Amino acid sequence: MAGRWQWLHRLGSPRWFYATTTRWLPWLAGAMALLLAVGTVWALLYLPPDYQQGDTSRILVVHVAVAGASLSFFPLMAVAGTVTLVWRIKLADMVAKNAAPLGAWFSFLTLATGSIWGSVSWGTWWEWTDSRLVSMLFQFFLLLGVISLRAALDNSATAARACALLSIVGCINVVVIKYSVQWWNTLHQPPSPISMQVGSPNGPEFWVATAIMAVAVYLFLALSLILATRNEILERESKAQWVRELALGAT
Amino acid sequence: MMKPHRRKRLGLIVFIAVGMSIAAALTLFALRQNINMFYSPSQVAAGEVGAGELFRVGGMVKNGSVEQAQDSLAVRFVATDFVHDVAVDYEGILPDLFREGQGIVAEGRLDSAGVFQASRVLAKHDENYMSPEVKAALEQAGISPGKHRFRSAPEN
Repeated sequence: MAGRWQWLHRLGSPRWFYATTTRWLPWLAGAMALLLAVGTVWALLYLPPDYQQGDTSRILVVHVAVAGASLSFFPLMAVAGTVTLVWRIKLADMVAKNAAPLGAWFSFLTLATGSIWGSVSWGTWWEWTDSRLVSMLFQFFLLLGVISLRAALDNSATAARACALLSIVGCINVVVIKYSVQWWNTLHQPPSPISMQVGSPNGPEFWVATAIMAVAVYLFLALSLILATRNEILERESKAQWVRELALGAT
Repeated sequence: MMKPHRRKRLGLIVFIAVGMSIAAALTLFALRQNINMFYSPSQVAAGEVGAGELFRVGGMVKNGSVEQAQDSLAVRFVATDFVHDVAVDYEGILPDLFREGQGIVAEGRLDSAGVFQASRVLAKHDENYMSPEVKAALEQAGISPGKHRFRSAPEN
């Protein structure tokens, strides 16, 4: 019975993934470079200074974009992990494996940019009692845990399943990070309600640069993950005929 | 149709995820007062904090309440949640954003007179970003969107 889930197996073919992303890469790289340039120039030159924080608030363009993207790693690894556990599709685990270190870097950058911002606006680099800060640090450690777990287990199939399960459970922390500023008293401010009207609090003159930067950062995330996964495919499928042909053709 | 062994595995994953979520939710709910970063002046007024205990209080710096000493860095101000007030004594360098009408979080102890002796004062800025021109225009129109919504008591 050619089932309803057949498409998933077609999509999970490493060879198909490799060929498709070869076509995507130049477009992703071009769009990322363009948006990154526009976002950076906008944030540095055209973003109005905040009435309270002055030029310090410019860092929010980077901080918000990176922080938002860092929250996507556990859901992404959980979906890939579920596919690994239920359908045993190898490509899903290749994506999950390479997402973990990238996610750790994004979490680290979120903590670093937030710390720099906080040192100026709050008067402190770090507060152990702020649940937003601590839950983000927890995500960083959880991702290091996922990386270590995979490295510690010799059997790669067992490692993939263990990491998949940890990634699914780790999604709980993403919800905690997101709502920490609403559930509890924190030093960290809640998310800004954006306004469509120019000249009002959180108007387009403030958030458009952040939105552009957020798209650029997501493109960077996608690009990095695709490139790492392609390497993983070549390594794991090195005995496959099409990889041999590709390697011979390239030299 | 999904194959039976796959459906069984998916069911197990959903069961684990739901179970862990409930466990996490119950834990966080039980620990809610410990997770809160600060007490509100109303909670302090209600005697939720023991004498001599180190804790943090969060509120707005009451307008017209800041008294700066002439010959030292000592400062006294009132933190308020618009229901109750707490007088705060502090000696040291205040964050740049410290001003009347600004949200702050102070760490320290209550003395016998009920004055909060702060060892640290942090600025808690809000989520409304705007240019000085917009702020001035809104103030002229009598709107103050920068106002903190400091809760007088936790909602849960």
